[in-house]
Amino acid sequence: MKKDSKPNIEKFLNDESFRNWAKESNQNDMAFWNNWINQNPSQIDDIYTVKAMILGITFRSKPVSGKKVNDQLDIVLNHISKTESKKTETKDNSLKKNFQKITSIAAVGLLFLFIGLNLYNSSKEIVHKTAYGEIIDLKLPDGTNVVLNGNSEIRYNKAEPRNVTLQGEGYFKVKSMLSTKAKFWVNTDDLTVEVYGTEFNVSTREDKTNVILDEGSIQLLLKTGISKKMVPGEFVSFSNENNIISHEKVNKDLSYSSWKEGTYIFNNTTLEDVMKHIEYTYGLTSEFINDELKQKTISGGVPNENIDICLSAIQKSTGIKIVKENTKLLIYH
Amino acid sequence: MDSQVESAFWYSFISGDKNAFSAFFKMHYTMLYSYGLKISQKPCLTEDCLQDFFIYLYENRKSFANVKSPKAYIITSFRRALLTKLKKELQFLDYDILVESIPSFEFSPEDIAIKQEFSSIRANTLSQLLNELSPREREAIYLKYYSELKITEISSVMNISYQSVLNTIQKAFLKLRKEVENEVILNVLKD
Repeated sequence: MKKDSKPNIEKFLNDESFRNWAKESNQNDMAFWNNWINQNPSQIDDIYTVKAMILGITFRSKPVSGKKVNDQLDIVLNHISKTESKKTETKDNSLKKNFQKITSIAAVGLLFLFIGLNLYNSSKEIVHKTAYGEIIDLKLPDGTNVVLNGNSEIRYNKAEPRNVTLQGEGYFKVKSMLSTKAKFWVNTDDLTVEVYGTEFNVSTREDKTNVILDEGSIQLLLKTGISKKMVPGEFVSFSNENNIISHEKVNKDLSYSSWKEGTYIFNNTTLEDVMKHIEYTYGLTSEFINDELKQKTISGGVPNENIDICLSAIQKSTGIKIVKENTKLLIYH
Repeated sequence: MDSQVESAFWYSFISGDKNAFSAFFKMHYTMLYSYGLKISQKPCLTEDCLQDFFIYLYENRKSFANVKSPKAYIITSFRRALLTKLKKELQFLDYDILVESIPSFEFSPEDIAIKQEFSSIRANTLSQLLNELSPREREAIYLKYYSELKITEISSVMNISYQSVLNTIQKAFLKLRKEVENEVILNVLKD
């Protein structure tokens, strides 16, 4: 390159002799380049720019204290070991609970299932997680479709895509396996939904699990040991914590699972309940300045994929005001 | 940081060694935190995001076996995670608009070392001059001289071509040089 009459920036940058000149670290190179510059005055702008690039800018590293780094590392390691132990814990729990409930033949089958489950270590576990306000469409390896609502998580073992654990809310369209009659399980803190092939919604917000069945038939195995059959159009809500169960028919015109299409459909729903939906999906808190507003009701669809549009739709249809301050929503007249 | 040592830690970490993970964490925490703070200007958000990011790294370690340059990879991946979080926080509708418009990479005199190879002007003058560059130029300079990335690595972090990185840095230094010269002349005239 030294003979090249039109060298470009990159060639200067990568030329060791040129770098020595810039850093003034080699007498021969300095003599050569000083001479070269004299003979090529037109290049002088490039030359000095590249020299500046080579010398660069020396930044001072703003130190993060060693204590802080260690504290942060502890938080991360704690979280990691917690999720690792949680995985083994839930496996143990479901092992015990399920044993009490099933006939001997099924038990043998499940035994193999769980032995298999325990053999696989945590690294074979697949996790899908949504952020606040995010809705994702999943296809599990067995062909089952899951729409996962915001702030939700679904996990399953790679070897067992038909046995999933859910936190938050999800809509399941389970692919039936006619040939093997293989079941599909959705586990929550309160119950297990057991199905062959059907469409249903599961939500685990607020220390309870709500299940709404759209199609087919499913069986719920509550953590208390009771099992319940559901037919389409039914809604079951169960909380393991206070052992409250409700089992009712839902209004079929009203789609409880409409969130997955990007709309909340409310039918005489109180603002208090509406705000709860929003809190869970977007990770916000809400506060009613005027308490009587809690009982005001809404009917109709509200878009739920963008918080701002969602809130302005609620404001327009009810005439109330909602102000967003950081992560808090203030509701007033 | 010796890149071979770094790669050694990286590979024992992805094969499940928690001690290597801790070492890797300590090695890069300060660099990522400073970088994140330059982008977001929000200490808490950066800290939270960095926690989540390292947990993500650990939980998904198996999938990083093909990563060639660990340092460039974690910077790229952390940058994306942080911008996504920032987009949610600021309620931006579009990721690209956010990337174009974040008022990031403001430099303060404390960021600049007293002794500069490149110029003899004072730290606060140099930081001022740096802040007059475009955000993109500032980020490229920061990645090159603070994070000590190669041009190819910067190109993958910033998602622009090798040639654009080179042009960006060159343009930035051309401007800086002129400004520095003017500054020096002004000082001479003042005396």
